[in-house]
Amino acid sequence: MDDDLQDFEAELKALQPAPPSRELEARLERELAVPAKRRPLAPIRWIWSVALPAAAAIALMSTQGGRPPGFPGSAARAPGHHSAQAAAETSLKPVAAENVLVSTSDEGLVTLEDGTPARRERLQFVDTITWRNPRSHASLTWSVPREEVRVVPISFQ
Amino acid sequence: MNSNPPESYDWKTWFQLYGPKLLLCARQWTRSLADAEDVVQEAFVRYWRHQRGLPGEPMALLVTSVRRAAFDLARRDGRRVAREERSHDSPEDGFALFQVPFEADERRTAIEGALQRIPPEQREVLVLKIWGELTFDQIATELGLSPNTAASRYRYALAALRQELTAADCHG
Repeated sequence: MDDDLQDFEAELKALQPAPPSRELEARLERELAVPAKRRPLAPIRWIWSVALPAAAAIALMSTQGGRPPGFPGSAARAPGHHSAQAAAETSLKPVAAENVLVSTSDEGLVTLEDGTPARRERLQFVDTITWRNPRSHASLTWSVPREEVRVVPISFQ
Repeated sequence: MNSNPPESYDWKTWFQLYGPKLLLCARQWTRSLADAEDVVQEAFVRYWRHQRGLPGEPMALLVTSVRRAAFDLARRDGRRVAREERSHDSPEDGFALFQVPFEADERRTAIEGALQRIPPEQREVLVLKIWGELTFDQIATELGLSPNTAASRYRYALAALRQELTAADCHG
């Protein structure tokens, strides 16, 4: 950097940023006079209300031989209707499952119960499960939105 | 970088020390002085309540908080496009960025005007370096750049600002 530019830099450094308004200071005074509230945990509980039923549904389907509930193939399990082989031929089988991350947001720093600072991130996924009938090649795809909150302890260097 | 103020200082002392710098930084990322004060308030309260005991430079933490609050505000209000597209022809809302003695007011006005005319990505680095007193490493982390890019943007910004002022002088 040449001398002129250094002089110019020094001139800029000598400029003092304008102070915030008195009104902002008054707002801070009011806000800081109130004891800090912990961040509500409701969003995290809400996630479980979505994630757990979704997980339960997937588990239920897996115990039904991979058929989604209510799908006609489920009837094939009824005793006396078809042989076990026929049932296998007409049933849908899970062939693919994927989790696609569609968005993330950084919700900033939070303080854990033990005082550890942590960063809270919210991730939104779409979980997609595909079933296919190996005989007819009919397929069914089921997509479920899912939200996940991660609280990651951090340390500042 | 200034040394950290003692822990025993009350928030007003901290705010007198950091408030003006934070407000100037916030004005780089917000559309108006009112928005800038809102994000400074949010960031400072968060810092004072939750981050004050953390190790590291307070200013770097505060700037990170201010920037995130500014982006959250822009997202909430759908203001991002307006912020990015805002005119750089004049200081955003007529409020001075700097305080100077009366006799230096003409020069201040010229500098503020020139600041609005340089590329925003250069101005951002310049403000964080000179008045935010962040290091190039801290600026790079804050803006997601390499330290070399931050340093070169700073040099370009200084040169561009000086050129703007020279041009303004030439045109009277």
